[in-house]
Amino acid sequence: MKFPTIFSISEEELDLNKLLDQITLTSTGAAAIFTGMVRGRTTRTGKAQGIHYKPHETDHLEYEAYKPMAEAKMLQVAEEIREKWPTVEGIAIVQRIGKLYPRTPTVLIACTASHRDTGVFDAARYGIDRLKEIVPVWKKEITPEGDEWVEGEYFPKPGE
Amino acid sequence: MHKVKIMFFATLRTRAERRSMELEIENHLTVAGLKEILIAQIPALEASLPSTLISINREFAFDEELIPEGAEIALFPPVSGG
Repeated sequence: MKFPTIFSISEEELDLNKLLDQITLTSTGAAAIFTGMVRGRTTRTGKAQGIHYKPHETDHLEYEAYKPMAEAKMLQVAEEIREKWPTVEGIAIVQRIGKLYPRTPTVLIACTASHRDTGVFDAARYGIDRLKEIVPVWKKEITPEGDEWVEGEYFPKPGE
Repeated sequence: MHKVKIMFFATLRTRAERRSMELEIENHLTVAGLKEILIAQIPALEASLPSTLISINREFAFDEELIPEGAEIALFPPVSGG
């Protein structure tokens, strides 16, 4: 049986219901869905993707992608998920690009399986973590103070 | 000699002040050798090269690798999607 795998870079609004529908089979009883959105107000201090950040406001983000490589790497992430969690049925990995404002979903990783105790939560978590390591997408943050490209900190190794 | 296409993304595009370029390179050039040629042509790239990722034909590439004929090459910073 062939399980559905959806992977794309899109300029369209993410339709979470439609994506979930596309990876739901008659054998499916559980889905773990992660979606990330643009945060307009950052309240904590921390480090993400190599940037030390302080509480600040974000007007919007501008995403760009090296689309053909990004989609190839998304498929690779899906294959890695299937290798680690063979019980996963459907996988959807979609990154929206373009100019995106606070509260807007930017990315979706969803995994379905027959039951919730099959690793679907871990599979979706792995998917978003891996996307942030090897899928060539970048964002520029536009704040009241100015613009800044966000750069990650992961250096892929040969074979990744 | 053969021709390759080089694309720049995010900060690298800003530094190079272009989205892409074509370059005539010698056969058996390595990624490290290409970096030297690019720095000579676009000095603004030098500062960011230590933290630059390079792909060849949509796979991550490394210094000692040879650049195949007609390669599609891209230079970009570590990724920051999500």
